[in-house]
Amino acid sequence: MSDREAILQRVRGAVRHEVDHPGAHPAPSLAGGFERFATRLRGVGGEAHGPVPSWQVGEVVTGVVNLRAEGGRVFAAESASEVLGPGVWVVPPADLAPIGFEDVAVAILRGTIGVAENGAVALEGRHAPQRSLPFLCRHLILLLPSTGIHPDLHSAQAALPADALDHHHLTWISGPSKTADIEQTLVYGAHGPLTLDLIAYTPA
Amino acid sequence: MPEPLDVGLFVPCYVDQLAPEVGLATACVLERAGCRVHYDAGQTCCGQPFLNMGATAAGTRLAQRHLDIFQKYETIVCPSGSCTATVRRRYPEFGVGADEAGHAQRARTFELGEFLVRRLERTGLGARFPHRVAVLSSCHGLRDLGLGSASENLGTRERSPTEVLLGEVEGLSLVPSLRDECCGFGGSFAVRLPEVSARMGRARLREWADAGAEYVTGTDVSCLLHLEGIRQREGSGPEAIHLAEILARTEDR
Amino acid sequence: MSHPVESGARRELGSPEAILRHDASVFDLRLRRDAAAGEVPDWEALCDRAAAVKAHGLDHLDRYLEEFERRATEAGAVVHWASDAAAFCATVGDLLEEHAVERVAKSKSMLTEECGLNPHLEERGIVVVDTDLGERIVQLEAEPPSHIIVPAIHRSRQEIGELFHRRMGTPRGETDPERLTRAARRDLRTRFLSAQAGITGVNFAVAETGSLVVVTNEGNADLGMSLPPLHIACLGIEKLIPRLDDLPTFLRLLARSATGQPISAYTSVVTGPRPGGELHIVLVDNGRSALLGDAAHRSALRCIRCGACLNTCPVYRRAGGHAYPGPIPGPIGSVLGPAMHEKGASLPHASTLCGSCTAVCPVRIDLHDQLLAWRREGSPPRGFEALLARLAGFVMARPRLYRMAGALARVVWPALRVRFPGNPAHGWLAARELPRHPGASFSARWARERGAGE
Repeated sequence: MSDREAILQRVRGAVRHEVDHPGAHPAPSLAGGFERFATRLRGVGGEAHGPVPSWQVGEVVTGVVNLRAEGGRVFAAESASEVLGPGVWVVPPADLAPIGFEDVAVAILRGTIGVAENGAVALEGRHAPQRSLPFLCRHLILLLPSTGIHPDLHSAQAALPADALDHHHLTWISGPSKTADIEQTLVYGAHGPLTLDLIAYTPA
Repeated sequence: MPEPLDVGLFVPCYVDQLAPEVGLATACVLERAGCRVHYDAGQTCCGQPFLNMGATAAGTRLAQRHLDIFQKYETIVCPSGSCTATVRRRYPEFGVGADEAGHAQRARTFELGEFLVRRLERTGLGARFPHRVAVLSSCHGLRDLGLGSASENLGTRERSPTEVLLGEVEGLSLVPSLRDECCGFGGSFAVRLPEVSARMGRARLREWADAGAEYVTGTDVSCLLHLEGIRQREGSGPEAIHLAEILARTEDR
Repeated sequence: MSHPVESGARRELGSPEAILRHDASVFDLRLRRDAAAGEVPDWEALCDRAAAVKAHGLDHLDRYLEEFERRATEAGAVVHWASDAAAFCATVGDLLEEHAVERVAKSKSMLTEECGLNPHLEERGIVVVDTDLGERIVQLEAEPPSHIIVPAIHRSRQEIGELFHRRMGTPRGETDPERLTRAARRDLRTRFLSAQAGITGVNFAVAETGSLVVVTNEGNADLGMSLPPLHIACLGIEKLIPRLDDLPTFLRLLARSATGQPISAYTSVVTGPRPGGELHIVLVDNGRSALLGDAAHRSALRCIRCGACLNTCPVYRRAGGHAYPGPIPGPIGSVLGPAMHEKGASLPHASTLCGSCTAVCPVRIDLHDQLLAWRREGSPPRGFEALLARLAGFVMARPRLYRMAGALARVVWPALRVRFPGNPAHGWLAARELPRHPGASFSARWARERGAGE
């Protein structure tokens, strides 16, 4: 018998099919809004800017890039460049291997949904086809429509588009990469970005 | 005067053998609270050590024996949170006292402080103990009997009956504890893992000593004997004294 | 013979300073958990829901396993099944060899610890680099993790500084956590870039969508999944949750219970391989189905490995994780131990049954009741101990015998207070003095002062 059949047979012998699913957890009544989201994001080591009108996003991002890039390479994912509008944004070449983002200083990507209770932003696979980019870069900038901020994770996940899982990955990002593995001392930038700037914008 | 309440005194075996003064103080405090105290000399052990060790056959026999002996009392009071918790909470897990009569009897078995504060609603008993006293919240009382709020539980905080009673003792100042964690006794644990057990006990004693406590009190003689044994070995730390002994004190030492 | 956790505690956490530091670091996580959970108004309801979802999922695990396999396969993943540790290691090793992989970047997975994957792969000539900082530290020290969330929590910054000096060339005497972390980042970055496969653990697997949910703070799992073309995900069969809709419930509990964060930095929901890559998923049983069939102990399979029970456990904090035999220390390790490995039988005794673990568990595992249940069923007293228990039980059931035993104890008591070889009170005396005997028992004094009993 294959391991598959053996395991399934043992599991079938062990279960009763008696315990019902309790149904979805009702979303709690938590406060939402940008301010609460921004406070949370600061609490997890990120920085929230805005909300700014959509036409101003490019300008604000340029300011953050100038602060962070230190002359290094800056990439704006194609989905982000659509929000940024005209400018000198460099879209990553389609044929670049995943390790090709190794020395990127700043990456700009577009998030869809934010969560006020934990400062997380949903980065959908369709908006980040270069999967390694937001993890290899030294500094990450996420763009988020302020209308996409939800109070809690239940309502936030429910607000994702129906095909959100169809593009390989969906990542909730809450602040920069971090570790406290050495004597519980919090250090940002364990492996991934050292900083995370979020620019919230009011869609046109 | 209201009719005195009849109370069956449940004296744990280690109190009987090693801390008779705690049993006597319990009787004294109950009488001062207006109870008539009865003691059945046929009682031995509620079975707790056996049940916790995994010696189930002996444990369940003793448990049943305990229920039989105390069946005749309307109210049963014990100067131990862990023995009370064994009767109230653990017996049915071992198939003892799981029926209606057993359930009722287990529900009328109280820890001393719990009985005074929650059942009799008597908190001031005229005791005087002019010392700085820390409180050990023994785990079975704290979590299994719900005597006070364990720190890891969220929501509103409730003072334990012990703290309520000590608050009324003349001259006594309560030394706050930074933690409410286990002292490291744990029955057979204390002798199976003595070093780990002592590390836990030493940490508690050090915390209270640093806060200036002269005494540590609680509802369980077993935990207190463990702490007192460590204090004697280490040569420093607050002295252990049972809640009943403090409540029974009416004059300066 | 002393209990393995007792001898382990003496060996692994030897000095008073080490005990204090370990206790303080771990308890700090407990306090962070208290604060974070306290901010969530629906915390208790959330825990109830999570427990109920897990209970349902486990009770329908056959259906969810098949559903998960179907969905994951539709999404392009290859699903493998492994009955035990040996089959798991062989499956992963074979996959790596088929792909001519020599270098692997691995992110945290307690399952791979449980199954001994690293030694197996190393035997086959494959270089495995643990990429979680704490895991990397213990890998370089050639020791197992001592905590399921914070693997190197038993190590001081001085020890880590010395290790990094030897292995990564940091300046001698460098103990600053930030600079040490930077050094590890540089070192591991080169290993990520040259890895030919990434191995990750899995926090949750969603049956409905065939998705894997992988949670980290460092982003190392995401690098492992996104740089090399081959991703092997390893999970125990109990990790399945029925629906995507259930996921927020668990995510809201996990990080808050573990470290007091509102959510971990990165939560990736991965469905199928990335374009041009391969995703292999290995579902592992290794004793889980047997535990599933044990109704009295099944609740332990709800565990989401948050570590809250370790952080609150005063025994774990004073003994250290390495004191526990088996891959998982602390209360949950002692509950799983008797079911999962041969060295685990005595673990239920390494507890005072204080119950704090049960109180913090976000999926409502009745941990301390489980420990007691295992003592009852799994490891009752044996041999001389059993004989003593029977004798004591016999005596205790007979008041006259009990009183005679008490009188005898009073006579021998002074001798028991002295340490000598073979003293039956040696366990007590190992750490503390035995009090003086008070003389007469309560019942004798009561009879004397109040007349005969009833």
